[in-house]
Parts: sequence; C-alpha cells; structure tokens
Amino acid sequence: MQVSMVAIGVAASGWLIGIVTGSLSAFSEVSHGLFFIIFSLCAIAAAIRMVVHARPIYCALYFVLVVISTAGLLLMLEAEFMAFALIIVYAGAILITYMFVLMLANQAENPEEPYSQAIYDRIPREPAAAVAVGFLLLCLLTGTVTGGASSLPPEGDGASQWYVLEKLSQQFETNVLEIAPDFAWPPISEGGHFIQFSSSGPYIVSGEGTVLELDEVMLPTNTQMVGWSLVNDFPVTIELAGVILLMAMFGAAVLARRAIELTEKEKRKVILGHDSEEVGDDR
Amino acid sequence: MMTTFAPSALSGYLIVSGILLTIGLIGFFVRRNLIVMFLCTELMFQSAAIAFVAVGRYYFDYSGQVMVIFILTVAAAEAALALALVVLLHRQNNTLDAETIVELKE
Repeated sequence: MQVSMVAIGVAASGWLIGIVTGSLSAFSEVSHGLFFIIFSLCAIAAAIRMVVHARPIYCALYFVLVVISTAGLLLMLEAEFMAFALIIVYAGAILITYMFVLMLANQAENPEEPYSQAIYDRIPREPAAAVAVGFLLLCLLTGTVTGGASSLPPEGDGASQWYVLEKLSQQFETNVLEIAPDFAWPPISEGGHFIQFSSSGPYIVSGEGTVLELDEVMLPTNTQMVGWSLVNDFPVTIELAGVILLMAMFGAAVLARRAIELTEKEKRKVILGHDSEEVGDDR
Repeated sequence: MMTTFAPSALSGYLIVSGILLTIGLIGFFVRRNLIVMFLCTELMFQSAAIAFVAVGRYYFDYSGQVMVIFILTVAAAEAALALALVVLLHRQNNTLDAETIVELKE
C-alpha cells in the first residue's frame, strides 16, 4: 500500500515536472522560464504541504510561501503592482488575521499532552473521494488548456497601451518634448488617434510634418495602466467592492459581539434608570 | 518591456493555476479544521489570480490585474466574516471540527 502510494506520488511529480519544463521552450528568455519553474514548483510544493500539514499554524505559514511564490509568478507576468499588493495585503494583512484566530482558538485540547494535535487535524475526511474529484478536475483543466492553447484568438498587439498614453495628455506631451524638444505640439490626429502605427512601431506626426518614432520607455507604467483600467472600465465594480468591505465590517462586528450577562441588580438599574440602592427594599 | 507572450507560455501559467486550484479543492474536502478549510479557499483565490493575470498579459489587457484587486477585496471580506464565525462557533462548541457543526443555529 505504502509503496504503491509512493510510486503514484513519484509518477505524479514526474509528470508535473515534465509538463512544467515542457513549456520552458516557450519563453523568449531562458531566465524567464527558469524563474517560472522555480516559482511554480515552490508554489505547488508549499500548497501540497499546506494541505497535508497537521498543525494549522504551519498551514498558514506554508500559505504565506504560496502567496510569495504567486507574487513571483505575477512579477514574471509583468504585473509588478499586483505582485507587491498581493504580498502586502495577503501575507501582511489577511494571513495575520488567520494567525490571530488560530492562536485564539487552537488551545491544547488535552492538558496532559500540551503538544498533541486535535483528532480532527490528524484524521482526514473522505480522502479517496476528494482525490478522485481533484483528479477529474485537473484532467478537465489541463485537457482544456493544452487542447485550447492552439486555437486561442490572436494575442493583443499592445496598441491599447499607447492609446492610454494619449489620454494622459500631460505625461504624453512631457515625454515627447523630452526626447524631441523642437517638436511642434500637438501632433496631428488621424482617425481619432494621435499615435499611428507602422511596421517599425508607433509614431506621431507634428503639424509641420515631422515624424517622431515613439520609444517604449514612454509607455505608462504598470501601476498607471492598472489605475486607468480600474477607474475607466470598472467604476461601478469598485463602488460595489467598497460596499462589500463595509458589509463585511458590519457583519464581523455583529458576529463577534459578545452578549453581556447582566445580574439582577444591573438589570434593575438599566430598567429603572437609577441605582437600585435608592429604590429601597420594597419586596 | 512588454514583449509578446507565446500561447504555450500562457498554458504553462494556466496549468500551474489549475494545479493550485485542484490542491485547494482537495484540501477543502479533506481537512476538518474550519480555519484550514478557509485557508484552502484562499489558495483557490490565489490560483484564480494567476489565471486572470496570465490571460490579461496575453491580450495586453489590464482588466485581469484589476480583477485581482477585486479578488483581494473579496478575500479580505471573506476572511473577516469567516473568522468571526469561526471564533463564535469555537466559543460555543469548543472545537474547530467541521463535522460537529451540523446546524447553524444558536
């Protein structure tokens, strides 16, 4: 039994490493692929360890490792803002809440054995059914991903990023005048856009007819693009997110409120509005 | 700088995201500690974040990263509410075992 389990585990990890290294050739730079493998294997290993660890505190700590690896993957995807926001908010705030509750709730059940684990942390619930469901889900997901990758719609060309730069008119003008101080601002608008595209890249044409090639350094930063997308494309959703947070705050406050048990004397004081001593003993 | 992103690189990220999702789901089924079960849902949130950002990166679309902001919001709200519930249940039953909580009334 043990041997077959280990064999299945080794085969699964071999398949995993194979499928992850198989995508290595897809990356334009070798270092990118290398970091992808390091971060993804780190995330998967920490996630497995988190699910199987008997001590909840260590589960939370392994989840911090998963968050950090995920942030590394997001860095590889050039999402710098989200990577650091993930570390700050997840590893810094949410996980601290979990640690607090774990410390609050996780007292030793048995005073004679203070370091023993509770029975519900040691015995799993329905492991076979869970693994079967997980296997099916993973089959479906990998099948869809590997089968569908060839028939994806074409990737974006990045033109939308340049159109965001157009809307940040102040930054656009400063950037252009920095590399070409004698450029006659503003450029000619054609088809609703200042920036035109040729085979060699984006360019703008001034009113005097001079053509200026734009460099990619001039593009808005990742944080600017995310902020633009957030307030331009999802204005209602961000309001709803605020409402969700407010409701969660109310809910948590209501749930965590402890009902205070009043003594007879205190109840009388509340009802009568003054100290019961002055009422006297009319009983 | 933004360079193009091969579809097979995208599928690598999506497979990692799928594996994390599956591990989180298995953990949610297998564990009996309420707090660890909620941690497993957070793991599933993480995998969704990877998938969103990877697909957004492929199309040069920043909506994927905006979705991660909303994932963070929902995760924070969920953590606050779920942990308040867990503290309440622990105070009542003195256990974190999900099996003992068969009815959610006072």
